[in-house]
Amino acid sequence: MVLFLLMTFLFFLLRISPGDPSVKYISPDLSPKLTALVKKSFSLEGSFVTQYKMFILNLSEGEFGISYTYRIPVVEVIKRTLPFTIIFSLLSFIIQIVFGFLLSVIAVKKINGITDRIISKTSLTVYAIPSFVAGVFLIYIFSEKLSILPSSGLSSFDTESYTTIQKLFDYAQHLVLPLITLSLNGIAVFFKYLRDNLEEVYNKPFVENLRANGFTEKDIVRKHIIPNAINPVISIAGVELGLLFSGALITEVIFALPGMGRLTVDAILSRDYPVVIGCTFVAGILVILTNLSSDIIKAVLDKRIAKGILN
Amino acid sequence: MLHKFKIRQLILVFAFILLLVRIKLFVNTFLIILLYVQLFITSPSFAYAQVNFSFIDIIASVSFFVIIIIYSLTAGRRIKLFHRNINFTSVVIILFLSFFFFAPVITDDNPDFQKDLSVTKLLPPFTSVKVLHLKDESTNSENIVDKFIRLKNHVIKKSFDESIIFVDSISTGDKLLYYQSGTVFSIANDRVTFKNNVPLITTKTFILGTDELGRDIFIRLIYGARISLFVGLSSVLISMLLGLFLGFFAGYSEGFIDTVLNRLTDMFLAFPVIFFIILIIALFGNSLPSVIVVLGFSGWMSLFKIVRSEVISLKNKDFFVSAQLIGLSNTKLLLKETVPYIFRPVVVNLVFQYGNIILAEAALSYLGLGTGSSYPSWGSMIEAGQNYLSQAWWMILFPGLALFFALFAANSLGRKISSYFNPQIKA
Repeated sequence: MVLFLLMTFLFFLLRISPGDPSVKYISPDLSPKLTALVKKSFSLEGSFVTQYKMFILNLSEGEFGISYTYRIPVVEVIKRTLPFTIIFSLLSFIIQIVFGFLLSVIAVKKINGITDRIISKTSLTVYAIPSFVAGVFLIYIFSEKLSILPSSGLSSFDTESYTTIQKLFDYAQHLVLPLITLSLNGIAVFFKYLRDNLEEVYNKPFVENLRANGFTEKDIVRKHIIPNAINPVISIAGVELGLLFSGALITEVIFALPGMGRLTVDAILSRDYPVVIGCTFVAGILVILTNLSSDIIKAVLDKRIAKGILN
Repeated sequence: MLHKFKIRQLILVFAFILLLVRIKLFVNTFLIILLYVQLFITSPSFAYAQVNFSFIDIIASVSFFVIIIIYSLTAGRRIKLFHRNINFTSVVIILFLSFFFFAPVITDDNPDFQKDLSVTKLLPPFTSVKVLHLKDESTNSENIVDKFIRLKNHVIKKSFDESIIFVDSISTGDKLLYYQSGTVFSIANDRVTFKNNVPLITTKTFILGTDELGRDIFIRLIYGARISLFVGLSSVLISMLLGLFLGFFAGYSEGFIDTVLNRLTDMFLAFPVIFFIILIIALFGNSLPSVIVVLGFSGWMSLFKIVRSEVISLKNKDFFVSAQLIGLSNTKLLLKETVPYIFRPVVVNLVFQYGNIILAEAALSYLGLGTGSSYPSWGSMIEAGQNYLSQAWWMILFPGLALFFALFAANSLGRKISSYFNPQIKA
């Protein structure tokens, strides 16, 4: 339902906007017959309502049409970028979660101790660094000055002769800087949420009770505090992953990576309507799927939520 | 050490330093105001024609500046806010606010000033350039109009200046030779200002270096604060109005309208906003107003959710029900009963929203979809600097730092406000 609304909104927005995408491909010398043919191949002929009808019918069959710029089906265009985006965002997501979790567990060992304060202050500072500034500076330091890591693209020029392991190593080298850029803010966000939640649980009476009963501090943290604090973080993680899937736009632009975000923006700028719609559709589906899976995970972890849904 | 000072003292110290450095500008501005009043009486049509943005800007900044000094010396003593101890956040906020209001007072050149590209382009920070002064050819007549125009040229900085030349070195002779990055130019001796038989040469220092077009980065940074603050404040205002009214409307009416609005908000929340912003700006063109409107429209969703849930919980409160039963109108219910109740969460949300918006504005400028090239903006400065990364790191570092400080200040201000309203949260 939400997806349908989104598509309709997008369709009308694209159609009422000024500028005709077919103009670029029609020269004034072209005969009217050919012009009509070009328009037809862009499915831009006919009235507004018939266009919309066709659009919805095609959409329900999973048919997005043919890209204006690439002249191949939109599905093919998206297929080229989707695997990269999914791997890239999953990697970044794992980094964010792992680092955020580790840091918050370290920090919460002694609340308001020196480590806690240092990590908290650093995370606030990191949170305020815009990703494009961080990315450009990472390029400056590691590519320009130290020249140990490549600055853009996904692979080197002469990869044909490489073995599989060398290729993988090459990819990994190219992904280090983008992953750092993309993950910095996320680590700070996860750290903040997890730490606050952990602190809240830490101050609850049942922890005091456990301590009085002689449990070790390690056991309390691992078996009681973390499971209790992790629940609200899962919904945030779902939203975050959804945003990552729809393309880390700025990072992809800085490092010239072939991802969904850059594809969408390029399509928007060149008025390639079918690709815009296709990308939005895929991004929407991914967002909805991640939200759903985070809900399911929450329900699995906490039986009360599952009961609430069933009732 | 720093924590012992109060905000009022900080403002006064800033003000007096500025006053000492720019004393000439202040005197000239007061003279120009006097002359303008005279002109307005003698020839109103000419006076009207002289009014433009930069004229109003400088007059307003100078007078506002003087008012601030007088105010903080007199009545401002009693304001509580001025007596808080200063910290990092307040220093940054005061600095950026002063950039916003007093940009023409702080800087001594136009942000677009450029001249002699071969000498001035891509200079690193703290470089000094020799300046050769040409003879002032303006007439010294005492006619009031001439006097006004002469003064105005002193006060309002133009983006070009024909009376100076940036040089690397000079050699004197019967014709004066000057060098600009290896090339020799000559100029007749009688066109140059002489002092004690030596050509008058001053130096101009670019504190933060220059960009690829020979423009001073320091000045552009200060003017860039204006765009950032202006876009941020106006967009936040738009999203505040939208979020408040829609949220109140949805929460208050419930039923069908509530469901529709809520679903719509879910739809917008599910999709990354930055793509909508880019889509709309790419389709309808980018300019200052369109960026403000689009950013404003993109930020109301979280506020809508907050206001809606608060209003729904408010409706069952006794004081609200009794206000309804007395027969207050909807407007009065909104202004007198709802706004004070939802004030705290809304303010906190708006401050964070402000941070998001300046970040989004900079990101848009970085992608080349920002407020256009007619105003300097931090994002577009970073974008321009990216092409000169290997030669000129200062082109990115300083706007990046400015952006970072602005975001940091906005975030910590938001946290401070929320802990001020809610003492259970530790800042």
